[in-house]
Amino acid sequence: MSTDTQNDGDSGRLVMRPLNRLETVSEQVYAYVLLIPAAILLGFIAFYPLLNTLWFSLLGDDVFSPDPFGEFNGFGNYADLLAGEAQLPQQFLDVGLSGSFPFIEMGTPFLQQALFVTLAFAIISVLFETLIGFGQAYVIDQDFRGRRWVRVAIIIPYALPIVIQAMIFYLMFNPTIGWATDLMQAIGVFGDNPLASSRDSFFIVLVADIWKTSAFMALLILAGLQSVDRSLYDVAKVSGASPWQQFKYITFPIVLPALLVAMLFRTMDAMRIYGLVDATAGCEQVPSMTCLVITALQGSRRWATASAVAFLTAIVIGLLVIVYLIGLRGSEGGVA
Amino acid sequence: MSADDEHPDLAAMEQVQEPDLDRGPVEAWAAKMISNPDRAYRAMFYTATVFFLVTTLFPFYWLFMVAITPGRELSEVGALTPGGFDPTSFITIFTRLPFHRYVFNSFLIATVATVIVLFVASLAGYVFGRLRFRGKNALLLLVLVTSFFPPAAFFVPLNRLFNTQVAVLEPIMSEGTLYNTPYAIFIPVSAIFLPLSIFILMTFYSQIPDGLEDAARIEGTTRVGALFRVIVPLSAPGVATAGVLTFITVYNEYFFSSLMTDGRPENWAPMLEGILAFQGQYEVDFHLMAAASIVAVLPVAILVIVAQEKIVSGLTAGAVKE
Repeated sequence: MSTDTQNDGDSGRLVMRPLNRLETVSEQVYAYVLLIPAAILLGFIAFYPLLNTLWFSLLGDDVFSPDPFGEFNGFGNYADLLAGEAQLPQQFLDVGLSGSFPFIEMGTPFLQQALFVTLAFAIISVLFETLIGFGQAYVIDQDFRGRRWVRVAIIIPYALPIVIQAMIFYLMFNPTIGWATDLMQAIGVFGDNPLASSRDSFFIVLVADIWKTSAFMALLILAGLQSVDRSLYDVAKVSGASPWQQFKYITFPIVLPALLVAMLFRTMDAMRIYGLVDATAGCEQVPSMTCLVITALQGSRRWATASAVAFLTAIVIGLLVIVYLIGLRGSEGGVA
Repeated sequence: MSADDEHPDLAAMEQVQEPDLDRGPVEAWAAKMISNPDRAYRAMFYTATVFFLVTTLFPFYWLFMVAITPGRELSEVGALTPGGFDPTSFITIFTRLPFHRYVFNSFLIATVATVIVLFVASLAGYVFGRLRFRGKNALLLLVLVTSFFPPAAFFVPLNRLFNTQVAVLEPIMSEGTLYNTPYAIFIPVSAIFLPLSIFILMTFYSQIPDGLEDAARIEGTTRVGALFRVIVPLSAPGVATAGVLTFITVYNEYFFSSLMTDGRPENWAPMLEGILAFQGQYEVDFHLMAAASIVAVLPVAILVIVAQEKIVSGLTAGAVKE
């Protein structure tokens, strides 16, 4: 097949000459040489900034000097953030203990604490996106006429730029233009000005995200569904299994690993939500963790605090990933 | 209905024996569904399909309604109808602002980032998928770990770095900084979306039989030649998947796109700044924002229409299966 393509190799040989030295080195060295571009890119743009951010997060804020970093502060920024004492318009986490039920006291409202807003958003959105995405994937996995176009229609929100997705839902819920606010007020869910209320804004961001990213889940789950061996269904039909039984005993167990991988990706993404919030309700109403970084950075020039928030975000995401990996290992063991 | 549920055959028999029994249309329908469950499943399937189509496509339809509404009638837009008819918004967006320049900037940034990512990820994916060497798992883990971090975690130092004046750059860049250049966007997004492509390509490359690569080497191809002439062409679906996903993700990216330029089109501001720029000083031209959104979504929409089957088959054969 494509080994034929090397017949035109003579023209390419001149270009290849400097690379000929690679022919004689060991596989070990060859591997390292090929990794150089990736190492440069990730080194400069990922590892160096990460270490830098870690260092910044240990410094103090110096709001008034040209260089916004002050003295070495140890874990002071982290302590302030976790105790709800950071000098920011919204808090990362602000929970105290109290003597009476439920023994926990919110220093600031639930939806004004970055950790809780982001976690609530991630859990609710990923849950709904998984269910809807599964439904969509199941539909576009069937054989029917016009399937190609139904597929395109269902997948297309995934390809939508975040700013446009945000625009659509911002306009829909805009009191003067959109119709959705009237609808939500009529059924008593929304208050007077939804884009100025934390609860209603949270709902808008949630709906917008579920609308768009269900398509992404559908795409990944569809990939899982397509790898199911079709002859299993024939066997099931012969033995008289109903479609529900086919789903329960064939489709679901086979798709489960792909489903968990898809949920893992989505959770990591949902925990980093920023653009959708920034372009719809704004970071004051729905202070996600990434929002808080930008607020600290641009609003008050607290670069060190911003770095600490960014690192805490990564730690929270890392913990969630570990939970998923444990689940993934369990599911694979169960299926096999 | 529950009694019928348990004994569908009995229900069907009763119907035959008592032709005079007066059944409403709903009951008749239910009986038909019960005697023929396949039909019920098909009905459920069509209902679900229509429901999903309406929910995914309606926001686009409504956006179009806003776009063709004249600016003064915006409060008249209904859930299904426009507030008037004025398609000139689609021309105004190019005359009032150079919106095509914004879209071009985004397009260029996404293309360059895709090329960089595919090249670098091809090399790295080959190494991780096909070569055996010490420290492989540790390096792979390191790559994975970078994708845990939110873009914000890279942003603080990068923002400083890109705003630092570098004497070497002064002849080429205005002010000698990378801020307000396409580099400030496509370099970070390339690095951030690199791990995903590495994982996709790694799975594809590892599935190619060793014999093919050996045969190419025996015929005199260089090591690197075997990679680009045998491995990469044979993994074309995987490379296409990684490329399309990277292009879409970069084109849609918000974080760096909104923070790395000052928003002026001549300073390489991407499409999102163009859309937000219609929020003018005195009034917000929502109909223009809607029209601009529709224009800006076209490139990726066309890409999805053309490449959707490739994306699905690429993901099926590759990364997700693991």
